[in-house]
Amino acid sequence: MSLLAVSGLTKRYRRGGGTVAAVDGVAFAIEPGETLALAGPSGSGKSTIARLVLRLTEPDAGTIQFEGADFRSLGGSALRARRARLQMVFQDPLAAFNPRATVARVLDDPLRIHGIASRTERPRRIAALLERVGLGADLAPRAIHEISGGQRQRVAIARAIATKPSLIVLDEAVSALDVSVRGRILDLLLDLQATERIAYLFISHDLGVVRAVAHRLVILDAGRVAESGDARAVIGNPQSAIGRALVAAAPRLNRTTAP
Amino acid sequence: MSRLHRFLRSPEAIAGTAILALLFAMALTAPLLFPGDPQAIAGPALLPPFQDWSLPLGTDRLGRDVLAELFHGARTSLAVGLSAAGAALLIGAVVGTLAGFAGGLIDEVLMRITDAFQTVPGFLLALAFVSIVGPSLGVVVAAIALGAWTGPARVARAEVLSIRERDYVAGARVIGMHPLEIAFREVLPNALPPVLALSSVIVAAAILTEAALSFLGLGDPNRVTWGAMIAEGRAVLRTTPFLSIIPGIALVLTVLGVYLAGEGVVETTAVRRSLS
Repeated sequence: MSLLAVSGLTKRYRRGGGTVAAVDGVAFAIEPGETLALAGPSGSGKSTIARLVLRLTEPDAGTIQFEGADFRSLGGSALRARRARLQMVFQDPLAAFNPRATVARVLDDPLRIHGIASRTERPRRIAALLERVGLGADLAPRAIHEISGGQRQRVAIARAIATKPSLIVLDEAVSALDVSVRGRILDLLLDLQATERIAYLFISHDLGVVRAVAHRLVILDAGRVAESGDARAVIGNPQSAIGRALVAAAPRLNRTTAP
Repeated sequence: MSRLHRFLRSPEAIAGTAILALLFAMALTAPLLFPGDPQAIAGPALLPPFQDWSLPLGTDRLGRDVLAELFHGARTSLAVGLSAAGAALLIGAVVGTLAGFAGGLIDEVLMRITDAFQTVPGFLLALAFVSIVGPSLGVVVAAIALGAWTGPARVARAEVLSIRERDYVAGARVIGMHPLEIAFREVLPNALPPVLALSSVIVAAAILTEAALSFLGLGDPNRVTWGAMIAEGRAVLRTTPFLSIIPGIALVLTVLGVYLAGEGVVETTAVRRSLS
């Protein structure tokens, strides 16, 4: 059984007189420990899908099966408890944290909310989490705005893995980072996947990055699935017009796919 | 440059702080310098100021020491002004945060209640409340807060509406935080600065409202207040105007001091925010 199975996912927004479907009947599935990439131009509904899957926005139609249960039917405390298994890393690591927070508080919250560690045990757990994502435990008392962008995204990943999730949604999680930092963050994500068997829903507009991390790829266009399949196969031989345009737009891929 | 340093560079802030410091000093030293009941008769009635140096500001119609009353009145003005403003800011911040964060029906209901309070003039509301419940310090504070919380509520709601769309609020939901904890721990602290910027205006208005209530005889009868002193002097306004003028000047200076100091604080924090 798939870890996450989405079908018929639809979200419409009112604009002017009529409605616009930001996401229109999208279906995909993610297996445990697998990376599924969602790629598409801006406005294709990638980030809306992320928010719908996480129930940050309520879909108008469609089903979301997560870990064998109907994720859409959950509410209140049952939903909050289940959120431990489904985490997210945002694009802008500065906007993703309360501007008043310290690194320790950011990591303390999930441990406290899900009762993972007692109050006295938490500082040790926080240090271990920081170490797991390649940061020093001495970073804990620092304010979020005092550390670098790359460090911040590592803290965001540490927070996402604090509750031992089975799936992490990465919404353009490396797009705001510069190239050298991006490579190391991708290595960290691959390492976490190999050791903890975490599945990723990897949202990106950059097929170069997608090819480096994704097993399977779904290409979106205007809220619909344009094509999907094995990531290397789709990138190597895109069938849809939007797929060819995305491949052409990724400079690193042009070099390898040119005759 | 430190915040204090920048604060002390603006002459308005210094003037405001000096006035407030004097006021606090008066309020704190009142029981030491003028022990006993300030409403007790201390000398002959209607003694003009600067005649008898044991009673520097003279006496009122009943022979009470005006200077002692002024000092004890500072206590009432400050206590009422600060606690009414504190209560108004607290109620306003909580109502505004709940309305802005919850949205939907809760927002509608809370904001219509806010509208209802806002359409009734604050002073009439306080007047009605005190005349029904009866005058005492706590009731006066509640009455003033009742008319003053709508401003902070609206500002807090507007701020919360913009903050609740930020990524870190979504992040807090993703880690499973309870909505009330998100509202009061993640959102409210970040929505507070513009709400607190209202505090100087609210404190000043609260002090004036308290004086006006006392002037109309609806203040706490067991406490000396500047408003009651002005009302007391009104009966002999043509012959001995100083009885109304002295507490009047004190009132004007206090409101001015609160306002200037408040503006100074807002200015300094605004500079700090734009720099960071």
